[in-house]
Amino acid sequence: MNVNNLNRNPLIELKNISKVYLVGEEQVFALRDINLTIYPNEYVAIMGPSGSGKSTLMNIIGCLDTPTTGEYILKGINIRELDDNDLASIRNKEIGFVFQMFNLLPRANALKNVELPLIYAGINKSERIERAKKALISVGLEDRLTHKPNELSGGQRQKVAIARALVTNPSLILADEPTGNLDSKSGEDIMRLFHQIWKEGNTIILVTHEREIAMNAQRIIRLRDGRIESDELNPQKVVFESVEE
Amino acid sequence: MNISESILQAFDSIRTNKLRTFLTLLSISMGVFALIAAGTIITSFEKAVLQQLEDIGETTFWIKKTPSIQTGHTWVKYRKRQPLTYRQWKELKKMTKSTNLISAHSFTVGTKISAGNLSTDPDVYLTGADNTFFITNSIDIDYGRAITEEDLEYNRNVAILGNDVVVKIFPNTNPIGKEIIVKNQRYTVVGVMKSRGAVLGQSKDNMVIIPITSFLKYFASPWEESLTISIRALDRQLLEETMDEVIGNLRVIRNLKPWEANTFEIETNETISQQFGSFVNFLSIFGFISGGFALIAAGVGIMNIMLVAVKERTREIGIRKAVGAKRRWILWQFILEAITLCQVGGVFGILFGIVGGYLLGTWIKLPMYFPTSWIILSVVVCTILGMSFGAYPAYRAANLDPIESLRYE
Repeated sequence: MNVNNLNRNPLIELKNISKVYLVGEEQVFALRDINLTIYPNEYVAIMGPSGSGKSTLMNIIGCLDTPTTGEYILKGINIRELDDNDLASIRNKEIGFVFQMFNLLPRANALKNVELPLIYAGINKSERIERAKKALISVGLEDRLTHKPNELSGGQRQKVAIARALVTNPSLILADEPTGNLDSKSGEDIMRLFHQIWKEGNTIILVTHEREIAMNAQRIIRLRDGRIESDELNPQKVVFESVEE
Repeated sequence: MNISESILQAFDSIRTNKLRTFLTLLSISMGVFALIAAGTIITSFEKAVLQQLEDIGETTFWIKKTPSIQTGHTWVKYRKRQPLTYRQWKELKKMTKSTNLISAHSFTVGTKISAGNLSTDPDVYLTGADNTFFITNSIDIDYGRAITEEDLEYNRNVAILGNDVVVKIFPNTNPIGKEIIVKNQRYTVVGVMKSRGAVLGQSKDNMVIIPITSFLKYFASPWEESLTISIRALDRQLLEETMDEVIGNLRVIRNLKPWEANTFEIETNETISQQFGSFVNFLSIFGFISGGFALIAAGVGIMNIMLVAVKERTREIGIRKAVGAKRRWILWQFILEAITLCQVGGVFGILFGIVGGYLLGTWIKLPMYFPTSWIILSVVVCTILGMSFGAYPAYRAANLDPIESLRYE
């Protein structure tokens, strides 16, 4: 993989991760023996058809779920040893989620939505508003602060969600099919925003089944039947990068 | 936790589910209304009784055949007691050395008084009393005079009128020296009482006082023949001594053996307050039971609303958990919401309660009283209600799985 990463501490280490569901009497492996290391400021796409286990993997990486067996180490912390409350804290501090369905609070305006993680981080009101505004400005929504989700376009909603993900300065942005509910124009917009966020030094994991979208990432991991099928650098992105710089 | 956010959310729930919320809040209002109205009335009663006792003063005590306020079936106990008779009173007066203020009175309700072609409704208190009754029970004469010893001695047909009676049968005339007719008996008006207002819904001025002798002769029904004897000690310090002497004398007069209990009741300000206390407890049980049932029904309604809210907002709960809300935050958010709902219902209940208590108080002529302590109690009750019935839905919300919640449509 990326040679530059060898002398850095990994952000994420997955060691022999398996996830088993019981369907009736039968054991179903959603994930089998996953080994994966991701370093800071990587831009990774996880690809695979539905049923390949990519959602399960994302939930485990996002600390929404815990593996049946194996070790997950995030920033040196062993996630398996944490209880529910600690997992909530980790999600709050270290992870910023961006979902396909946007998942904004429908009754709250853009500013309130972006403030939400800061409320749970126990940050005082004036600082919350300050930081939420900054995040919304950084995604280009400075004139939409008091709009409610139903007053915004799909692309704008996803930008609010991205601002919410960024506002806590997390170690990792986890995006699950972020363009899945958008028209192609808005989708491109969002992907440009991710690119910019990555360039600012953030680590991004992108879960998608669309090849085109995955091509925005620097590293592409393909899943099939709960196993890693391939894990390689994206030649296009490397080319794209060198052209740009 | 963000309290204002939860409160706003509660108001949002009220807005989105108007009918359901309205019905639930209505039953909370009813429950709180019952509490407040009962509380207001009870406290007003209490104040009225205390005021009356204060007016008469703490050196007076009363002896009666049965207690003033009875609750339950205690009358069985008093049924066989012999009446306190005129003769016993006379004897008591003669025997007692520590005070000369020993009066006797009895009354009958629902008497019609006429003068000329005017008459009152048949609702006047006709009281028979002796000359000291005015002192022992602090009844002042506005003009004219009170009953004298001579009135009793010579069986004079004289009457002292209350203000309500004067207004009805002697409008714009001085009643002194005029004649009134009480059930075919003629009486000459010799005095008018100072107005004493109303207590417990009864005007104390709708009253005519005639000599006790005449009263017993013409008007007393058998059960009204037992007198109330009022005794005023000459001094606060002498009250106990006077009581002891009076009780001792009356026991002798009524031929009680040393081991027998008193066959009469001694009432002081204190014992009346105590009796009243148990009466009030008796009343408040009704308020509490009816209020309590309404509130339990309301609590079930609140639980229902909150369970639906948890279901409807599953996705929101998932979002909150994904961005880092801990269990206890979700728990408190929903509990606070339930408490807010209860308080909204409670506020309406308090308002209805105050207005209802006021209207009822005006109707039965009680002095108005603002039920501060009952309002505080209602707020506390609503809080407990919200907490207890909101707890289970909130617990369900707090324990939702974030992944499934996020997928919930």
